[in-house]
Amino acid sequence: MEPTKLVRMVNQIAANWDCGPDQAKAVAGVADHLRRFWSPPMFDEIARYIATGDADLSPIAERALTQLIEERQVTG
Amino acid sequence: MSEVYEGYRRPDDLGTPAIESDVSITLMLDGKKVSVPEGTTVIRAAALAGINIPRLCATDSLEPFGSCRLCLVEIEGAKGLPASCTTEAQDGMKVTTQNNRLADVRRNIMELYISDHPLDCLTCPTNGDCELQDMAGAVGLRDVRYGYAGENHLEAEKDESNPYFTFDPSKCIVCSRCVRACEEVQGTFALTIDGRGFDSKVVASEDQPFLDSECVSCGACVQACPTASLTENSLINKGQPEHTVITTCGYCGVGCSFRAEMKGSEVVRMLPNKDGKANHGHSCVKGRFAFGYATHKDRITTPMIRESIHDSWQEVSWDKAIKFAADKLKGIQAKYGRGSIGGITSSRCSNEETYLVQKMVRAAFGNNNVDTCARVCHSPTGYGLKSTLGESAGTQAFDSVLHSDVIVVIGANPTEAHPVFASQMKRRLREGANLIIVDPRSIDLVRSPHVEADYHLQLSPGTNVALINAMAHVVLSEGLEAKAYIKDRCELDAYEDWRSFILDEKNSPESMESATGVPAEDVRGAARLYATAPNGAIYYGLGVSEHSQGSTMVMGIANLAMATGNLGREGVGVNPLRGQNNVQGACDMGSFPHELPGYRHISDTSTRTLFEKEWGVELMPDPGYRIPNMFDAAVAGQFKGMYVQGEDLAQSDPDTHHVTAALSSLECMIVQDLFLNETAKFAHVFLPGSSFLEKNGTFTNAERRISPVRKVMEPLAGYEDWEVTQALSNAMGYPMNYGHASEIMDEIARLTPTFEGVSYEKLDRLGTIQWPCNDEAVEGTSTMHVDEFVRGKGLFRLTPYIETDERTTRKYPLLLTTGRILSQYNVGAQTRRTENMQWHDEDIIEIHPHDAEQRGIEHGDWVGLKSRAGDTVLRADITERVQPGVVYTTFHHPESGANVVTTDNSDWATNCPEYKVTAVQACKVTQLSEWQEKFEEFTEEQLELLRKAKTPAQATSV
Repeated sequence: MEPTKLVRMVNQIAANWDCGPDQAKAVAGVADHLRRFWSPPMFDEIARYIATGDADLSPIAERALTQLIEERQVTG
Repeated sequence: MSEVYEGYRRPDDLGTPAIESDVSITLMLDGKKVSVPEGTTVIRAAALAGINIPRLCATDSLEPFGSCRLCLVEIEGAKGLPASCTTEAQDGMKVTTQNNRLADVRRNIMELYISDHPLDCLTCPTNGDCELQDMAGAVGLRDVRYGYAGENHLEAEKDESNPYFTFDPSKCIVCSRCVRACEEVQGTFALTIDGRGFDSKVVASEDQPFLDSECVSCGACVQACPTASLTENSLINKGQPEHTVITTCGYCGVGCSFRAEMKGSEVVRMLPNKDGKANHGHSCVKGRFAFGYATHKDRITTPMIRESIHDSWQEVSWDKAIKFAADKLKGIQAKYGRGSIGGITSSRCSNEETYLVQKMVRAAFGNNNVDTCARVCHSPTGYGLKSTLGESAGTQAFDSVLHSDVIVVIGANPTEAHPVFASQMKRRLREGANLIIVDPRSIDLVRSPHVEADYHLQLSPGTNVALINAMAHVVLSEGLEAKAYIKDRCELDAYEDWRSFILDEKNSPESMESATGVPAEDVRGAARLYATAPNGAIYYGLGVSEHSQGSTMVMGIANLAMATGNLGREGVGVNPLRGQNNVQGACDMGSFPHELPGYRHISDTSTRTLFEKEWGVELMPDPGYRIPNMFDAAVAGQFKGMYVQGEDLAQSDPDTHHVTAALSSLECMIVQDLFLNETAKFAHVFLPGSSFLEKNGTFTNAERRISPVRKVMEPLAGYEDWEVTQALSNAMGYPMNYGHASEIMDEIARLTPTFEGVSYEKLDRLGTIQWPCNDEAVEGTSTMHVDEFVRGKGLFRLTPYIETDERTTRKYPLLLTTGRILSQYNVGAQTRRTENMQWHDEDIIEIHPHDAEQRGIEHGDWVGLKSRAGDTVLRADITERVQPGVVYTTFHHPESGANVVTTDNSDWATNCPEYKVTAVQACKVTQLSEWQEKFEEFTEEQLELLRKAKTPAQATSV
């Protein structure tokens, strides 16, 4: 899948969660959203793209994805 | 099968409408004691007691009129002979309905009627089903003393302009039933009685042919006509039906109940069912008349296969087609992995079919790559209402609108897309309810006969969230919120967060005015009107959901309704108007990739275990691909096989270039459909589908009403759709052995708490059932969230307004928005194959006179429409329906290429496409677009490949 499109999607999700003073809540919201709605191959694709350093993610999107990628590594 | 009436009989008619009253009164009718609700007419009281008083102008779908005088009676102590249809029954009243005096008067009246009526009963189309004929018999008319030589209307010319019915004025008795039906039932006011006395006649609009008039061909006048003056052409051509089957319309999300009136296996006419709880005997031009597609010559009834989409089709047996499809899919999985295939079901399919497709994908394909076309319409409704209220469904029954004081219509066009509900809404508006419309375009409801919106908030496309936040700001800043309701029923921490968020000055109507384009004072007025209404109801459509913030807007609507206490009783609510017949059902049935039936997440172990136990297979715990994800994965070479039941992705999904690139990349595309639709032109396997007339099942409409679909004719290709899915699953190695659609529903009920009490037996008994239906609600649930929300406490979600990426630029200075038209349905595959084409044979582009003048565009010119996704050419309609800077079109015709122009922008939460906002440029052109020329070439190639189809095998059992 086109990784830049996935980046656009996750940034869009993050922007819609970034609406209060509590940034941790926004990060948790984005992470939960991705967990509930994204298919594993989409994670794999964006994780590979993040590893290249080219992913232009918003801060909240980046924190949420970092959390999820770590989580997926732990659970295998 | 229940609800099949052998031998034709006209529906019972009690003369005048039912009256609701807690008070009962008792009268004497021909010496018989009869008790009825206070306010009931004498004619209805008599009918309820089994006494049929002769009548012509009275019918129980219309208010009493008292013109024919045939229903007159004697009432003890009353002067003269009052008409029983306009006389209220009184406690202690003594009525005589039959005696010699009454018989003489009635016979004299009939004699006058018949003196100006053709005596061609034997060759009349309604012979045997004519109320005038019946009344002549009932009053014992034997002679017409006046003769027929005098002035009369017998030579009056027929109006045959309408393709579906004929108006024969020579048979008109000027009872006004048609005129009243057009007013009271449909609310269009297209008909009137012109002239006085003997010259009185029924005319459409200003004495125009029906087809050219304001008539919307709903059929209410035809149904109301007691003679053959207004008659369905199908009845004229085929004669009287001989049996009737009650079934459910296959068009929009209103889900009208119909009497399929049959002659053998041929439909003579579709008559709206008076007992239908969604439509109460009303219909629209599609459900009533546009059923001819079911037997259209374009139907494909033999399975076909081919190796490449540039090969000729080969007609094969069902066995061979199914084996070919299964081998292909299994081969792809072996080569590319289990997740390289998926399935898509449609809101045009039944609950049972949809359930079976998602079951096959999860159990036989072994992944969760299943989605439904609700992805591209109401998926934000599912997300937004589940998040805030706890259930992904509308909160009310349609009848609830009759108790509404303020009706808010947001991004919906009911008179075009949900016409039967629109008629009910208009009835309430005529009774005095206020109306607020939020729409970039001037829809008919803004101003039509006897309906005028109090506010039309004509916002700029893409600014819904800004507007709903501004309305909420008014409610909170002016102290109009329902404090006790919020305290009692909602999560207070979340409410306080939302309150702080909304009260920020940036959400005020004044601050948002520059974004929305709506004067702040209008927003304030509308918000006050809604918030202070005893009952405020919101109805919304795809103008809410098909945006980059579709889900946010749904949550914003739910927030506003909670804040004003407008949820949990009749007359209020949040009501998504679903586009297609079974959008609600398709979502209920677990056809989204992340959810099992009943909106339970696939990752939930206990739910998954329940299904694993029933299905005998291990299920994947992660969500699968959504439709746009499937396209992206296909273009990337990771997704190779697709089974599509009843959906036309190539026409209906946005960014056509991307969609067709994805479809072209598939190694196996299996399409199950009635016709070689646009998607099927990219298919390797074509499995013939069955229309709603050819199968059993259920549809669930926008009010959660599960209604039976009954087979009225055998499937033209031999199998109901669920049988084909079952065959494919078996060939894939996962066994299914259902013998009837009812067994699928039984399984759904076993596995889905909200459907626990649903069965075909109960549907036969009750007619329809609104879910939830279980031990707590044995006969279903009309209004949801009555004492508490399904999720417990209502949750206010924050709804920041984020401007869409689709904004105007110098290159693309206009905003395109899209919609529907009454006569066509969705991609038009059905309605384009009917006489509905007479109303809309091409999609046009609406453009404001100012924008047209700037571009030198005149009415009827070809207009090139270009966006960053692509370009197409449409004919111009210059109109002030659209505001300057906005253009509008429909997508009912594939060659229009509306979705060549729409982009891949989508809702942040659900990926529902942003059909409603595309930045475009428009200019005058003289030829079709390059895409349209290629489309024509490709279409011609595919039709030629279809013509070359061979027939080497007989169909055999699946």
